[in-house]
Amino acid sequence: MVETLRKIFLADLLTGLWVTFKTQRTSNIVTEQYPLERPRVGERFRGAPRLNNNPENGETLCIGCDLCAKACPENLIVVGTERNKETRRLDLTYFTYDLSRCMFCGLCEDACPVDALELTQDFEMASYTRDGLIWDRQMLEEGPRPTPYTR
Amino acid sequence: MTNHLETSEMVLNMGPQHPSTHGVLRLILKLDGERVKSIECVIGYLHRGVEKIGENRTYAQFAPYVDRMDYVAAVSNGLGYCLAVEKLIGIEAPPRAQFVRVIFAELNRIASHLLWLGTSALDLGAMTALFYTMREREDVLKIFENYCGARLTTHAFRIGGLQYELHDTFEAELLAFCASFPARLDEYERLLTQNPIWVDRLKGIGILTAADCKAYAVSGPVLRAAGLPWDLRKAQPYSSYDQFDFDIPTGQNADSYDRYLVRIEEMRQSLRIIRQALDRIPSGPILAKVPKVLKPAPGEIYSSIEAPKGELGYYIVSDGSLQPWRLRVRPPSFLNLAALEKMAVGALVADVVAIIGTLDFVLGEVDR
Amino acid sequence: MATEAWQDPLSAALAATFPSSVLTRESFRGQPFALITPTAWCDVLSWLLLNHAFDYLADLTAVDFPQSPDRFELIAILYSFSANRYLRLKTRFPESFSPASLTPLFPAANWLEREVYDMFGISFAGHPNLKRILLPEDWQGFPLRKEKSILAMDQSWVQNHLGIKSGQ
Ligand code: SF4
Ligand code: SF4
Repeated sequence: MVETLRKIFLADLLTGLWVTFKTQRTSNIVTEQYPLERPRVGERFRGAPRLNNNPENGETLCIGCDLCAKACPENLIVVGTERNKETRRLDLTYFTYDLSRCMFCGLCEDACPVDALELTQDFEMASYTRDGLIWDRQMLEEGPRPTPYTR
Repeated sequence: MTNHLETSEMVLNMGPQHPSTHGVLRLILKLDGERVKSIECVIGYLHRGVEKIGENRTYAQFAPYVDRMDYVAAVSNGLGYCLAVEKLIGIEAPPRAQFVRVIFAELNRIASHLLWLGTSALDLGAMTALFYTMREREDVLKIFENYCGARLTTHAFRIGGLQYELHDTFEAELLAFCASFPARLDEYERLLTQNPIWVDRLKGIGILTAADCKAYAVSGPVLRAAGLPWDLRKAQPYSSYDQFDFDIPTGQNADSYDRYLVRIEEMRQSLRIIRQALDRIPSGPILAKVPKVLKPAPGEIYSSIEAPKGELGYYIVSDGSLQPWRLRVRPPSFLNLAALEKMAVGALVADVVAIIGTLDFVLGEVDR
Repeated sequence: MATEAWQDPLSAALAATFPSSVLTRESFRGQPFALITPTAWCDVLSWLLLNHAFDYLADLTAVDFPQSPDRFELIAILYSFSANRYLRLKTRFPESFSPASLTPLFPAANWLEREVYDMFGISFAGHPNLKRILLPEDWQGFPLRKEKSILAMDQSWVQNHLGIKSGQ
């Protein structure tokens, strides 16, 4: 009798569903709606590289010392410099960074004496071509421009 | 009627793309019915020549590459490498760095065992465990990300100590993890330990006795499941492991089920170590004095640590130049996998999956 | 190498048992190692295994010294559970020499020797299944020999497979 009633009122099913719904709290939802909402990555996240400019006068912070290129295990940074006759310092002429071989280890960032090169929290670096992953100075200063997502 | 069914030996190719081989491992099984008559492992699909790369990079530059061998335990790989180079040049990391290293190495042991638990349970059809273990592993990876900026290929340590000081929220994150994790471990045990299917598929399967373990140079949880309480953290303490109080779990039956129990208990012990280290973490510098240009004097060193998979060793020969003359990695997974033949011959095909699962190897490390 | 003499009872016993085969006994940063003649390779290791319980072959590897007439150095790293200590044994021999395989003594040597063969081209006499293990069967040469240049390998691979110039 009890058995039949349990069957009629779907007692077992309800117990099972109760277990399921018990844990259905909004705080338990971990799925990220990625392109709509960008996940928050750690503050020290090692992502897309950036060549920093001096915020006051917009000039590059890089002093062309080539230390980042020497530190890189993959040899993927090329720093081009020219001796400035007047100031007798090195001027940066070009800077290329081959993202396709970068392993984001952070050694270049650690080596930079003036915090010019930095690995940022940007992670949207995909490109359709290999050439698109070779970043020049302009790209490094501006950062990646991912296509905005629209529905 | 004398009509016999003809029987013949069958050759079965398992992998390289097989979900239960945890990477790209190809097994050539010769079967007699359901029994395995012989087994041959074909490896090397992930070979990247890590040792050759090591000969062509400076000591500091090579450190990120070791993360890519056992990619689920990158912190341990980095720790082993840093300790080997430190030993070669004769320096030691400051106490604070050693404690931080211990915390991260143990967190990594937990992360590695969690991934192992989830995936090997999945291989045997227990799907739920994977979702649970991934949830906790995520907490650990989040701590890694906040500390050093990467989740898997962490490059967390540097030769001589640490690059980064602990981040501000570190203690809170770690305490939250320590508080929630024991209950979670009990949850896994409720799912699996008494589960009749789980027990049936693991008990008495893949027995590798202590004597065989020694002969095949098998280390790590597999060795301890055979009843030998050998753990390099106790036998040859490094990075101040001698200052912590922990037990070495062992099994008695040397079978797959004991390996499961040993790993579960190891996670509890890791948690114990983490709690102690967090309580007593000293202040002070985090990086020892290391010359800017690292040129170790000619010499050779072998240094090994207890990685989640077993004894991870580095043998470095220096000729006094900027780059090592020879850099050899002793991969625990490689030697553990070599013992598969011993365990699997005579077993049923389905048990091979269970044995592979509880051996816990990572093909990135087998192939290097 | 700034080494010290390796002095302890085991070192003395080793020298007394194999007076003509043990060439040097040294230690570096507290890690002892002995250089023995290649012909005594198996004898010394089996003596250590049977009489001194060095029953765990932690690693077996080789180093290439192309400048030297005895080009290859073979290294076995042994561990004894009962004494809780490591010991390294080394032997030097020219390219033409085939050292005896350790597989009958230590089953672990099976794969390790295959790897050494794969990487250095040292062939072990009496190995049950000496073939390449990590590299494909049709690979030419032995990558861990010093004359193999990683740059040349990289360049030719990238050229052939991707059709672009290698960036290294
Ligand atoms: S992150 Fe590492 S691999 Fe990438 S450029 Fe910097 S040093 Fe080189
Ligand atoms: S290390 Fe810094 S300052 Fe020097 S070249 Fe690189 S980015 Fe410029």
